[in-house]
Amino acid sequence: MLKYDQDDVNVFRCTGPRKRPAIRIITLVLAAWLLAVVGSQGAVYFLEYTRQGTQLAQYTFFNLPISYWLTGHFLPLWFILLCVVFNLWMDRHAGGTPDGALRFRVRGDTDKEK
Amino acid sequence: MGTVTVQLLPLAIVVGLFALFILSGLRTRKRHVSEYKFAGGYTSRVGIGAAIASNWMSAASFLGLAGMFYLKGYFAMAFVVGWTGGYVLLLVLMASQIRRFGKYTAPDFVAFRYESEVARTLAAVIAIAISVIYSVAQFRGIALLVSWLFGIDYTPAVILGASLVVSFVIISGTLGVARNQKLHYFVLIIAFIVPLMLLTRKLGYFWLLPQFGYGTAIVDLQQQFGFAWPQAFSGTSLFAWLALCFTLMFGTAGLPHVLSRFYMVPGIRDARWGLVWGLFFIALIYWSAPAYAVLARLFEASAGIPYDPSNLAAADTIILSAATNGGLPLWMTGLLVAGGMIAAFSTVAGLMLSGAASFSYDIYPRLLRPGASESDKVYAGKSFFLVLALAAMVLALQPTQMMIAEIAALAFALAGNTIFPAFLLGIWWGRANSTGVITGMLLGISITSAPLLLGDSVPLIATLLPATSSAFLGAPLVILTMMAVSLLTAPPSQKIRSFLTRQVHDCEEE
Repeated sequence: MLKYDQDDVNVFRCTGPRKRPAIRIITLVLAAWLLAVVGSQGAVYFLEYTRQGTQLAQYTFFNLPISYWLTGHFLPLWFILLCVVFNLWMDRHAGGTPDGALRFRVRGDTDKEK
Repeated sequence: MGTVTVQLLPLAIVVGLFALFILSGLRTRKRHVSEYKFAGGYTSRVGIGAAIASNWMSAASFLGLAGMFYLKGYFAMAFVVGWTGGYVLLLVLMASQIRRFGKYTAPDFVAFRYESEVARTLAAVIAIAISVIYSVAQFRGIALLVSWLFGIDYTPAVILGASLVVSFVIISGTLGVARNQKLHYFVLIIAFIVPLMLLTRKLGYFWLLPQFGYGTAIVDLQQQFGFAWPQAFSGTSLFAWLALCFTLMFGTAGLPHVLSRFYMVPGIRDARWGLVWGLFFIALIYWSAPAYAVLARLFEASAGIPYDPSNLAAADTIILSAATNGGLPLWMTGLLVAGGMIAAFSTVAGLMLSGAASFSYDIYPRLLRPGASESDKVYAGKSFFLVLALAAMVLALQPTQMMIAEIAALAFALAGNTIFPAFLLGIWWGRANSTGVITGMLLGISITSAPLLLGDSVPLIATLLPATSSAFLGAPLVILTMMAVSLLTAPPSQKIRSFLTRQVHDCEEE
């Protein structure tokens, strides 16, 4: 049973010097993703349904009402940014060497590959 | 039926563009074309991105999103966020890892990871169901465009559209044409953006970036015509918005034909950067789609055409309405129609072939005819393709109160409730086992169908699990169930756990 636990992949109990930082960046990216989606809608709710917010909602950003810009424009842009940050980190840490791409070649079905 | 009026010039443009794709495919066809028809043209990360975007663009994106915005205003932004945000999940949680499994279809992945043929069959049935539901949305879009092109009613247009799709796939297959996906995306984006720029320019708005220019139109609509879409969350709740948004995100990371994209890319790093480009190319369309809805309404208001939210078909073709009411030349409207047809045809062809492959590879030789030869499987795949096309056509003929984007969302809900949890736990939790995944997928199917079957009689189900948005609560529920059942039953084999640890995650033992 002990052997099983040590071998088991578990996102909450990850071992290994390479894996732990990878889990950390994934957690950070997902947190930023979740916070942006939920937070932006909280902000839109604030803009629409509170007295202070209604005043702010009169303003536009790049010609668009703030709520439309925040949700329709900013969020997709934010997702792209998150993906870029994640990829840069992965390139630097997981595949920084010139043969980084080779290290990731499919190894799941090596017999078939041969 | 009234007089049939064929739109000759737009029809010629549609035919011409399809001919261009076939010729281009013939020129660039590879010697080793993938069985699943995703091969060809991976020359750069931008090229991979264009292929991802071209694979993604469907009638739901090209026609449906603008239609949703026209009818529901801010609520439609859930589609924009859901259909782009899902790619973050796909990138950080799955893109690299599934590539390392070396499996080429979702059922293959499930069978290998969970070491279960029952799980494979269930995943194959789900993949086929997703293909059919998603194809119904495409058939509806195709029928609306065919109806406009040929001046015929919806029902004959569905039948004609389905025949055209089948012919397209047969011709492409017979000629061995692999789609040139960069050209494909290039044509799609030109067909979508250029008419929008011209419309924006006609109105005197900021036409160079119509994605921003339409903001002024929203203000003008309100000030000149007293028209405004409902405030965010006024007609619907914050829960409904988030439920739809997260369902689309989970579904994006669980759609078999989207996941397949990452098995085929030559290198992991290329796959990751290709995904970023793909997301940017997809976002270009989604930043633009609401503009069509706003401009269409402005043209309607200027012409004194009343707002009719009950006409779903008109809303689904709102981009055509914007072009015609905005006085664009007929060839430009033809370009828009061609773009919509190309998006829908390629998506439906990919979905049908993916569904047929699931049958001919995962079900037919394993359950129906063990020992079937390769040619038997090919015939089974071809026959099943026709069955799928027929099923999607019959379903598209049924009257519905759902728009194209909503029908597509139903497929996302099914994928989010079933395939997404199976992949997520399969990759990230070594303890997940076959009993867990089978229970989870069955629960996912039940959750997806519950609002359709019981929504009218049990209002709580319709509220908590809306048909198009059931994965918001459904996917976490399925994940928890999979975990509980896996913990209560025997763990997976040492072989698969070691594979996950050493070959998928590169974890090192302490």
